[in-house]
This record gives sequence, structure tokens and C-alpha cells, in this order.
Amino acid sequence: MRVDPSYVSNLVGSLDQAQANEQQLTAELSSGVSITSLSQNPVASGENVLLLNQIQQDDSFTQSSNLVTGSLQVADSTLGSVVSQLTQAISLATSANNGTMNASDVKAVGTQISGILDEVESLANTSYEGQYIFAGGQTSTSPFITSTITSPAITTYNGDQDVNYLSTPNGQKIQLNVPGSQIFQGSGANSVFGALNALVADYASGTVNTTQAVSDTQALNTSLNYVSQQRVTIDNSITQVTAASDAITSDQTQLTSAQTNLMQADVGEVSTQLSLAETQQTALEDVISQLDSSSNSLFSKLQ
Amino acid sequence: MGTINSAFSLISGALNADQAALSIVANNVANASTPGYAAETPNWQENQPVTINGVQYGAGVTETGATSLRDRVLEQRLDQQQQLASSSGARLTALNSIQALFTPDSGSTSSTAGDIGSDITSFFSSFASLEANPTNNSLRENVLSSATTLAGDISNAAASLNQQSSALDQQASGVTSQVNSLTTSLAKLNQQIQTASPNADAGPLEDQRQEDLSQLSQLIGINQITTEHNGISVTTTSGQTLVSEDTSVQMTSGTEAGVTHFFVGNTDITSQLASGGGELGGYLTARDQDIPSAMNSLDQLAYNVSTKVNTLNSAGTDLDGVTGSATSPLNIFSQPATVAGSAVAMSVVMTDPNQIAAAAAGAATGDNTNATAMANLAGQSIVSGQTPTDFFSNFVSTLGATVAGVQNENSAQNASVTQLQTQNDALSSVNLNDEAGAMSTLQSSYQAASQVFTMLNTIMVSVLNLGVETTVS
Repeated sequence: MRVDPSYVSNLVGSLDQAQANEQQLTAELSSGVSITSLSQNPVASGENVLLLNQIQQDDSFTQSSNLVTGSLQVADSTLGSVVSQLTQAISLATSANNGTMNASDVKAVGTQISGILDEVESLANTSYEGQYIFAGGQTSTSPFITSTITSPAITTYNGDQDVNYLSTPNGQKIQLNVPGSQIFQGSGANSVFGALNALVADYASGTVNTTQAVSDTQALNTSLNYVSQQRVTIDNSITQVTAASDAITSDQTQLTSAQTNLMQADVGEVSTQLSLAETQQTALEDVISQLDSSSNSLFSKLQ
Repeated sequence: MGTINSAFSLISGALNADQAALSIVANNVANASTPGYAAETPNWQENQPVTINGVQYGAGVTETGATSLRDRVLEQRLDQQQQLASSSGARLTALNSIQALFTPDSGSTSSTAGDIGSDITSFFSSFASLEANPTNNSLRENVLSSATTLAGDISNAAASLNQQSSALDQQASGVTSQVNSLTTSLAKLNQQIQTASPNADAGPLEDQRQEDLSQLSQLIGINQITTEHNGISVTTTSGQTLVSEDTSVQMTSGTEAGVTHFFVGNTDITSQLASGGGELGGYLTARDQDIPSAMNSLDQLAYNVSTKVNTLNSAGTDLDGVTGSATSPLNIFSQPATVAGSAVAMSVVMTDPNQIAAAAAGAATGDNTNATAMANLAGQSIVSGQTPTDFFSNFVSTLGATVAGVQNENSAQNASVTQLQTQNDALSSVNLNDEAGAMSTLQSSYQAASQVFTMLNTIMVSVLNLGVETTVS
């Protein structure tokens, strides 16, 4: 039987292949990545795009949640201050209403409550990073302005009823703000500013119309409760953001480990393959050098 | 009755035959590395016996030339397989360049550069971040910068695809002149073979013709038909005649709609060549099928993301309180007119981050409803019934699978070519051990004949001297 006399060139082809294999394995070891081109594993490449997408989304949400947590905490602590200011105003009004104070003391109470009114107004106009947090969507203009032309003075709301939500990657919506009108100007009787302005007017002259003043104090008390109720919404949002952020972080950890498993080279396995490829290369080189030596042709035996 | 003279003639004939055979062996050894050379074997023919007085006497041997060791069927099979392997090889090279544009992102920050998948996510996530604080300038800047990265990476990838397409086009058009010179040579060889050896293997001419056919098989897909008087007709796989007997038909190329088309006569055979085989088939398949398919995916992605984002942004209120209208839309991306060409042309036209409409129409600037809507596009089926990320994921899987498929196909075809080549080489190529053996046999045979000649000479001397040994020596 005749054989192909150019078998050495076939062996060289195998040698090239072994070297290409070694090159690929070395690249995997040095980069730590097992899939360096789409065709190596098309399904994993597609899966990788999806996993990275989720990881990035989670990452982005974690950053957003830090941002909104700041603003929500400012809102919460502001409302905390409002509550304590209002509590103080109620106790002042209650002492003025019991009929034991003289005119100048009553006036003094009026002045103090007026101070509290200014303080509450400034709290209601709190801004975070340049944005008014109780203005609804009108975050660039100060939402509350008090006009003293009339008596009692009137505090008007310039914001709107806009409520923003933050969407989590799994679709949950978290409320980010409560419009100022809802907190400070609850329908009619619940208006913080209405009650405070009325009390300031009640005590301005030094003579107390007890019936009116008690009723106004009562109104302030009601509005205080109403503010506390609104504060719960903010607190809930903080809790939700924290919970969502925790859930997302643990989700992200799992996704990252899945993505790593998918893409990362198994160093042990790759090393073994590399060692095998090296052995194959050495063997091929030996075979070629054996076959290629000139003493291997019958011509060398002819005299 | 045989005579001493006839023995002389017989043995000198043997010496001649041995010499001729030795020169054939020498020619084989000399051409051991010549591409296309088929080893030759001497033809020995016993001379017609002579009958004298009813008794037959052998008349020696004549060497009647050499026969090339060749199997036409095997060679044709090899050519056919070579056409397939060249085609998938050329296509694979092109596909490898295409897939290099979409190297998988390993997840480390350095590897995300140029990765369209992560660009898509970053872009839509930038709107999600904007939800947290819709008036924040740095978050708005971030939307524009991630949009710029996305548009830049998509248009770069598309531009690279276009460059690859024109490079393939150039390679393909370069094949025409090679094919024409080979078909011309084949026609000429046909003529020479039909004149020189109409009924038998034409040896070196046949070697050249086979070599031309095998080179032609690397370039394009062909059919070979053996005609009378040892001629060969060559057609493309779709049946267009390239060589008929001693005439060849030139293949021409011309530009149509910006790409090179190929003609035989007036017939456009571009699409037939693409599926025919050979390097040209591979180039054309990549140019007309693989690249347009990848390009179409990028176009779909660019078109739908650009138009959907532009539409939503124009429908909202920006930081300056402006809402877009049909005449002055608030476009983030350049608005594409058609799907085709969207990817190359994708760019960010918005320069002022204030123009990002985070608020809903009619709402105050602190509203984030529209930012949420734009972030939600990431999860909506806006590109061919899929989300942008799913679409891109499917695109890379499909591309990867195509490359892997062609890779397997090419490996299998190359293995088959190697196998056929081995079979063909076993038959046709010069085996130096065989030649050494033949040389040794011929040497012995020549020596024996020489010896017989010497002995005949001695006998002849005896005859001429009639027993007196010294007269003639």
C-alpha cells in the first residue's frame, strides 16, 4: 500500500493547532476570562449580557437609594422639628388661655408664637441640595409665603400636588415626597399655618377672647396630629428604600457570583489543559525531528 | 532459430529501456516537491515475439514512455471539497473580524469599554438615577454622557462593519482577474492536450491542468465536465460556462448600488457565486449576508432606541419648563428617518442637559414622571418585540452561534480535505522510498543486461575467431 509521503506537513498542521490551543489557554489564564469571543460559547455570551444588565441596574439603584435616603431623612428630621415647635406653641397657647396672664404676658406669648410661626415657615421652606422638599414639583421656588396685610395673616402655598416615585429594579414604587400643602395646609381645620396665624392674631392685642383662642389652640393641636400622620409616610418611604436597597445588594451579590462563574476561567482546569497541550506539542516536535532526519530515506542506504 | 545478433539487439533494447526508466525515476525525484506533479511510472512493453520455423522467440522489451499516477475522480472530489473549505474559511475569517467588535464583557470595569450591552444599561440607568433627583445637574450630565457613549459605540461598530464590508468587496473583486487568468490557461491547456494526447493521460500538461483546476477551486465554485479528446469544460456551480474546449469566457465585475457584482456575459451571477463555494463564495456570503444581518440588528437597536427616547423626551417638560413640539422637538439623539443607516448615523444632538425632560408635560420641573417613563423603556419591548437588552443579548448569541457553526463546518471540511489530500498524495505524489527501490531494481537490471552484453560479446569473439582466440579480442 502506498502512503502519503508528505505526512510531515500534516504533522506540522497538528503542531500549529496545538500551539494555537496553547495560545488560547494562556490568554484565558492571563486574563482570567474563559470566554474571549462570542463563538466560544454563544449562549453564555448572551446570558452574560443579561446578567451584567441586572447587575448594573442594581448598582445604579443602590446609588439612587443613597441619594433619596438623604433627602427623605432631611424631610423626616424637618417634620420632627416642626412637631416640637408646634408642641411648644400649643403649650404657650394653653398657658395664655387659662386667664391668669396679664396683657403684656399675653402679648409676649403672641410674639413667641409669631416666632414659632416664622420658624415653622422656614422649616416648611427647607431645601435639600438646592431643591425645596415640600414644594411638590415646584422645587425651585420657595413654597410658603406669609402675607401680613390681613389679620390674621395668611400663609399661601406656591407649590403643587406633584408626588415623585422611585422605581426599584423589581418594579416597586417608593414615594419620595409629600407636597407641603398636604402637610401644612391639610383641609381647612388641619392647617398648621391657619391655626398659628389665628393664634398670633388672638394674642396680638393682649386681650384674650378665650373661646376663640381655645378653639384656635384646639385647631393647632389637630393640625399637629395631622403633621405627625404625614411624617409616617416619609418614615415608611425610608424603611422601604432601606429594605429595597438591602434586597438589591444581596441580589447583586448573587448575580455577580453567577456572572463570575459564567465568565471566569477555571484556573485548575485550564492549567491541566495547557499542560496536556504542551505534552502534545513536545511529542509532535519529537516525532517530526525523528521523521525528518536524513537517515530516514531509503536513498541514504543506497550505495 | 534465434541468433547471437538477435540476442545483441534484444539486450541492447533492454539497456535502452532501463535507461529510459531510470530517467523517469530521476524526473520523479527531481519533481518530488513540485506542486501538482503526479509521479510517473515507466510503461514496459514486451516486444512482439518472432516466429522462425514455427518456433516463437522473445524479442525483448521496449519502454514506451511514462504514465502519470492519477485518479481523476479523486482529484475532482478533492477540488469540490476544497471549494467548500475555502468558502467557509474565507467566511470564518470575516466573521471572526465581525465578532471581534462584540467581545464579551467580562464584568471588570476595563472590559466595558466599547461594550454596547453595558452602554444600553448605563443609558437607561442614568434615567433611573435622574428619578431620585430630577433637577440635579450632574445626573442630567450623566444622561447625556451615557447617551454619547451608547451612540458612539453603536456608530463605531456600524462604521467598522461598513469598513469590513468594503474590504471584503475589494478582496472579492480581486478574485476576478485570478479566475480569468486561470480559465485562459485552462483553455490553452485543453487545446494542447487535445492535440498532443487526445486519448491518453497527457502527463505534465495534465499536471498543469489539474493544478489550475485546484487553484480555481480555491477561488470559486466550479463544475468540471470531461469532454471528448481528453478536454475539460468548466462551469460555475450555477452552470455558467467559463471554459469550453479551447475557449474561455471572461468573468467581469462592475459596481452596482455601491458593491461589486460579477457577470458572465450579461448575466449577473453574484448571488449564485455567493452560494457556490471557493474564497469568492465566502467573501460574498460575509459581505451580502453576515454583515448586513449584523448591521440590520444594530440599525434596529439604534432606530428604536433613538426614536422612542426622542419621542418621550419631546413629550415631557425640561428643566427650563419647555415641552417639545412637532416643529421643535427635544431630541436627545439625532432623529433617524429610516431604519437602514440609523446605526452609523446615531449621535447625540442635545448639548444642554437642561433639555432632558424629566417632568411630565404640564408638570413642574421638579416632577420625575417622564424620567421614570424613559427609564422604564429599558424594560419595554421597544426593539423588534424585545427589550433593548434582550435584543442585544439575542443578537450576540445569534452572532456567536453563527461563527461557531461556520467554525465547525470549516473544521469538518478541512478535515475532509486533508483526508482526500492524503489519499491523493498516497497515489500521486512522489514517494522517495519507492523511487529508491525502483532505482535499485533498475540498477540491477541494467547491470545484468550489461553483463549479458559482455558475455555475448565474448561469445561473438569466439565465433569470429573460429576458435583462434587471439585474432579478434
